[in-house]
This record gives sequence, C-alpha cells and structure tokens, in this order.
Amino acid sequence: MDVGSAVHTEDLTVSFGAEKALDGLTFEVDAGEVVALLGPNGAGKTTTVRLLNGLLSPDRGSSRVLGFDPVTDGDDVRRRTGVMTEQSGLDERLTALENVVFIARMRGLSAEQATTQARNLLERFGIAHRANDRVQGFSTGQRKRVALARALLHEPDILFLDEPTAGLDPEATRDVLDLLATLAAEHGRTVLLCTHFLGEAGRLCQRMAVLHRGRLRAFGRPDDLAARIWRGVPVELDLGAPADERTLAALRRARGVISAQPTPSGARVDVEERAAVPPLVANLVQMEVPVFGAVPRPPTVEEIYFAIQEGAE
Amino acid sequence: MKTTTTSTRANAVGAIALKDFTAVRRSKGVVLPMLIVPFLLLVVLPLIVGIAARNAHPPDVSSMLRTLPGGLARPILALPPRERLLVLVDGYLLAPLFLIVPLMLAAVLAADAFAGEKERKTLESLLHQPVPDRDLFLAKLLGAFVPAVAISWIGFACFAVVVNLTAWPVAHHLIVPTMLWTVVIFWVAPAVAALGLGVMVRVSARASSTQEANQLGGAVILPLIFLAVGQSTGLLLVTLPAAIGIGAVVWIVALSLVARGAQRFTRDRMARAI
Repeated sequence: MDVGSAVHTEDLTVSFGAEKALDGLTFEVDAGEVVALLGPNGAGKTTTVRLLNGLLSPDRGSSRVLGFDPVTDGDDVRRRTGVMTEQSGLDERLTALENVVFIARMRGLSAEQATTQARNLLERFGIAHRANDRVQGFSTGQRKRVALARALLHEPDILFLDEPTAGLDPEATRDVLDLLATLAAEHGRTVLLCTHFLGEAGRLCQRMAVLHRGRLRAFGRPDDLAARIWRGVPVELDLGAPADERTLAALRRARGVISAQPTPSGARVDVEERAAVPPLVANLVQMEVPVFGAVPRPPTVEEIYFAIQEGAE
Repeated sequence: MKTTTTSTRANAVGAIALKDFTAVRRSKGVVLPMLIVPFLLLVVLPLIVGIAARNAHPPDVSSMLRTLPGGLARPILALPPRERLLVLVDGYLLAPLFLIVPLMLAAVLAADAFAGEKERKTLESLLHQPVPDRDLFLAKLLGAFVPAVAISWIGFACFAVVVNLTAWPVAHHLIVPTMLWTVVIFWVAPAVAALGLGVMVRVSARASSTQEANQLGGAVILPLIFLAVGQSTGLLLVTLPAAIGIGAVVWIVALSLVARGAQRFTRDRMARAI
C-alpha cells in the first residue's frame, strides 16, 4: 500500500448465499482523490462501501482504510469515515436537528456541542429553517441535505456517498452536486462516490472504477480509459452542414487523421493528436470549405462507461 | 489505536436508547396499544372492583375462596365479607395479570427497536457509526427494557392509588402494596420484561418489519399471557415463595435468550439482512 493511499483493497470478495456480490476487487484510492464507483444496480457498489466500513466481513481478500483493517478495527475506520447511505437513514419521527444531534452524541460530542455543531451544519446545507420539523414531511432533496450533515459532522477523512442524487429532481440534483463539488474540494478530502448517474461522476471524479456483476471491469482516469478503448482524439468539425464526399475524402487523406464520419453539422474526425487539428482546418479553408468550429471532444464518462459495460457483457 | 473511552461509549449507548424511546413516544400506532392495556387492567378493572365492593350487596366470593387451597383462602375468609372481593381481586388475582403489562411493553418496544430499524431503513446508517456491536445491542435492550419497567411501575402506582382510594370507605386500610405485589413489581415484572425482550430480539433477527416481529413474537408471548390469565382465575396459585421462584426461573430463561441474541447480534449478520 502506498503511503498516500486512503483505501486499498486486495482480492476483496464476498458472497450472499450462492451469489458473489463482489468478486476479487483490487484497487487503490489516493488520499484527497475523488473516485467514482460506477455500475448498474447489483454491480457491488454498496457492498464495497459496507466492506470498507467494516459492516460486512469479506469471504476472501483484505482491505485497508486509512491504514486500518475494517474487519478488526471497524470502529477506528468508522470514526474517520462519513457515509451517506442511499436511503438517507433518517428517523422520520425525529426532527432534522434531532437526527443530526443523535449521530453527534453517538460520536462522543456533549449534548451542547452536538446541538451547536448540528445547527451549524444544517445552516451550511441550507436546511436550518426546517431544523425543528419532523423529517416525515421532508422532500428527498431535504433529506439528502440532513443526511449529508450527519455524514460530515465529525469532519471525516473519507466521505462515502452512496447514490447521493437518487430520487432527486433535476434542480435538487444540481444543488446537491454543487454541494458535493465544494465538499470534495475542501481540505483535500477523499471521496468515494457510488452512482449510476454518469453525469455526476464525470463532473466530480478524478478516477472511475467500473463494476459489473461484482467484478472490477476498469479503473483509471477517464482519459486513460478512453485511450485504452479508442485510438486518437475525437474532434467535432462544425461545417454548417453534413460534410460532402469531397470534404470527407480530403479529411481522410490528411496527415494524422485516423477516421472521418459525417455528422448533421459537419464531421467527426479522429486524429492521432491535438496538433493535427490546425493543419486540418487550414486545409479545409484552402478548399473553401466553411469551418465554423473545430473542437477536440474527448469521450464523455457516459461513452466510456457504456463502452466498458458492453465489453463486459 | 483504541481511543474510545468508557464515557464516550456510555454516551453512545444513552443516545441510542434515548433516541429509540423519543421516536416511539411519537408513534401513535405504538403508544396507544401500549397505554390502553395498562389503563384497562390497572385503572378500569380495580375501579369496577372497588365500586362493586362498595355496593350494598357486593358479590359473594366465599364459595370461590373455599375451592382454593387453605393457605391462600384462610386469611381472606377471615376478613369482613365486603373486603373479601377487594383483597382477592386487587391483592392476589390481579398480580399475575399485571405481568402482561411489562411483557407486552417490552415486546412492542423491542420489536420497534430491532425490527423497526430494518423496516424504516435506518439500520445501515446506525451500523456506520463507531459503536461496538455489544454497545449497540445493549443500547437497544435498555431502550426497550427501561421504559417497559418504568411504565409498568408507574402503572402500578396508578393502580395502587385507584385501589386504595376506592377501597378505603370499605376497608379503612391500604389494600396494596402487599408482599406478593412487592415481589411481583420489583422481581417478577422486570424478569418478564427481560423475557419479552429476549423473545423479540430473536424474532426480530428474522423479521423484516415491526408487524412481522410482533406476529412472530405473539406466537411465543401469547401462551405466556394465557398462563397469566389462567393464574389470575385461580387455576394456578401463587404464594410468595412461588412468586420468587417463578421470577428466578423467568430471569434465567430471559437472560439466556438475551445472551444468545447478543451472540448473534453482529454487524455482518445485520448488514446481510438489510
């Protein structure tokens, strides 16, 4: 394990009955890094979080979280991690404030400290106006905010977010993502984000781990993963109309071009490197083809994810 | 690195137990049944008996008393006829029936504390806290046991007030507490509450909802209630030494059930059941 790694797993495997929920997971998360665990339902994301927090014991393999073994030092791990579970985990019969104070008391804060800290966090997450209301009547977005306050009240070194935007409307999703982006940037906090919403992973994560039926299919930076799947850099050419045959032929002949396909607004060209773009555009201008734009467009997380998942099927 | 102090652990146990009780207090569906039975048994019933005893022609219980073994019946038969009903019902027959209260309260509270966490989907966030399995279990037990016993004792206090107020014009002395009641309240009732807990801890591990836990637990607890009812109608008799002995047996069974429940109460087992 590297000195700077916050999470390290080696062949982590667990089964529920005959079914392997996680099969030989080996990966490492650096301190201060934001990593997305991606995969469909049943891929093993939540199981990974539960194993790393010592809720489950693996059948095989091992893990270290901040240097602690979750199996033998579970409380030491949990003291340093904060988890926002998919279901928020709030007791509907308690108020927002009581829900946060309860966790603070369990984490050793005095009643006074717990109340002050809880109020501060609810204020910070924009839910202070409902602090004394029972959670029963809260929207999913408001519940997520209270759950985030609970996960963060002890300033954890690692934050586990399990489907943080599940069930949210687009506006609430944007609000929560803004909040998470801020949190991820704070104090170099390590964040493990489990999600099947690829947009949020693309926005927040530095590396992504793609799980499929309990197995790790790919792990790395989106650019690196894309480079393993596709050759070259895709470039969107805006020509004002689909490229004609003459233009496509010229593009395919140009130096550094791997392939060229027409699109509704022009053409998509795969080039070996970004440096191939300026001469390409110059060539088109010389041919009197109008060029309104040439934008290198790396594949989105979504495109990378589906390419990996299709390969796994 | 073990940094948890005893006070921090006590803090956590207290916080969980208090949270459970606060949450239950706000559930009408749980609170109402919990209060109705004690109210009927410990307030309405002694009130009816008291009113009946003050009647010009109180029910004659001497024929029933003669069917009971002499040890119990003799001191009651020695009382004036108007006092016999009061002493027989309030002093003896209601004592075993009273045990339904701690048994039922403990079972309902334990089902909410253990199976209820699964049903409300709050269990996982609880397991993510740095609280050892044993402390979690202890907190859940205390959160059900302490209120069950406390409410039973408060119920008994209400019962004593009602009984003595209604009996005073007839008896001119206190009817309860008797020695039998004292043993029942401080020895047998906590044992019965622990038994209810022990049963529900085991049952809740298998149940996915409070209702399911109550149904499964009811299958075990109902025969005990029938036993108490049978006892109160005089089919079985409790003398003071018998009450102490029964209490001891119940404690042993309850503690062994709780101990086995504690062994099975592990994060791994619970996380797999989420």
